[in-house]
Amino acid sequence: MISKGKIAFCFSGQLRERLMLEDLHPLRKDPHFKKWTERASLVTQFDLLNFSLKGEEAETGFNLKLQISTYLLSMIHFHRLRTAGWVPDILAEHSMGIYAALAASEAITFEEGLFITESIGRLLEREGTLRRGGLAGIIGLPLGEIEKICHDLNGHHLSIANYNGSMQFVLSGEEEGVEKAISLALSRKAISASRLSFDTALHSPSLLSLREEIQDILKDIEIRPPKFPILNHWTVTPLRREEVKDFLSQEIGRPVYWDRCVERLIQEGVTQFIEVGQEATLTKLIRWIHREAEAFSAGEHLHFPPCPSELVSEST
Amino acid sequence: MPEPTNDLIEKIKQLIITRLKLVDMTPEMIETDASLFGGGLGLDSIDALELVLGLEKEFGVVIPDAEVGKKVFQSVRTMAQYVLEQTQAV
Repeated sequence: MISKGKIAFCFSGQLRERLMLEDLHPLRKDPHFKKWTERASLVTQFDLLNFSLKGEEAETGFNLKLQISTYLLSMIHFHRLRTAGWVPDILAEHSMGIYAALAASEAITFEEGLFITESIGRLLEREGTLRRGGLAGIIGLPLGEIEKICHDLNGHHLSIANYNGSMQFVLSGEEEGVEKAISLALSRKAISASRLSFDTALHSPSLLSLREEIQDILKDIEIRPPKFPILNHWTVTPLRREEVKDFLSQEIGRPVYWDRCVERLIQEGVTQFIEVGQEATLTKLIRWIHREAEAFSAGEHLHFPPCPSELVSEST
Repeated sequence: MPEPTNDLIEKIKQLIITRLKLVDMTPEMIETDASLFGGGLGLDSIDALELVLGLEKEFGVVIPDAEVGKKVFQSVRTMAQYVLEQTQAV
């Protein structure tokens, strides 16, 4: 008999880059791609296919378009996985992956998730024009060094935006401070330090000022009990239905604790992690946090391996 | 620049496959001179840290900073050359 551990579906944050969906891309033939992009086209003017073929980094609203692409692709991959027989025991999310995680758990509808993604994305876009900020991924320095960089650049309002694992951090703050942090990190022997594609100080306390506007976006949305539990990375307990709106209104102004999220999932008996998105960023971070973890990204698989629970039922 | 042996090249390829869990790949599928990041194998900075630790663990060589890392992680051949340089320098 094959022992079955728990399965976690992990919803990733904003794509690093635009997905190129050229004619021969296998996703274009997937019925879920057609279904969910068509459904999206009824409520948003954003066109994933058009963006994937023609979008330019320099164009207006590029980050907003990446955010909507991320949401749509996560939903497409979620339904691909479900059709292939994969059932999650728990959902985890990184950054703006929360919107797709909520829709996947049916706490909100697909359309509501799209609306929230687009509305919060527009707030962030506006924020980026008012107070230009940024993010820097810094790899290869321990937490103490990262804290020291924030301390040494005191005055630039730098803070840790993502705790992605030992020696894997993202800093957030004013644009000038972020650039200085990159130089400082490299001079202090980081393996890599570079800007991420954001023009706001995402996951920094400065964005808590958007809290009321986000609550206003959410006011007419009824949150339903999640069908699959979603791990809250601040408390490392399942996100309760009544906490969802508060979580969403603060999430962009507080750090992502991905490291403790993964550690908690392992403690809870998760043995299989699946990144429900196009890229493999979370997959790599999961393996970094726990070398023995079984992890794969849905976006990297044209055909999924069989779900372990199906193997169990077949073998018993 | 010392020229690494085929055996060392093979070991570096194996290290990349093992550390990055490229389960569908074999050493023959990795071109010795192809770029590892961006194009080529398409690795990213998270992978770089895995390779830094891999080189340290398997060969006892240290990548001290990003500048050296950039030079070393250009291709399998540059990785092998660095291992050779560092191990022969002792």
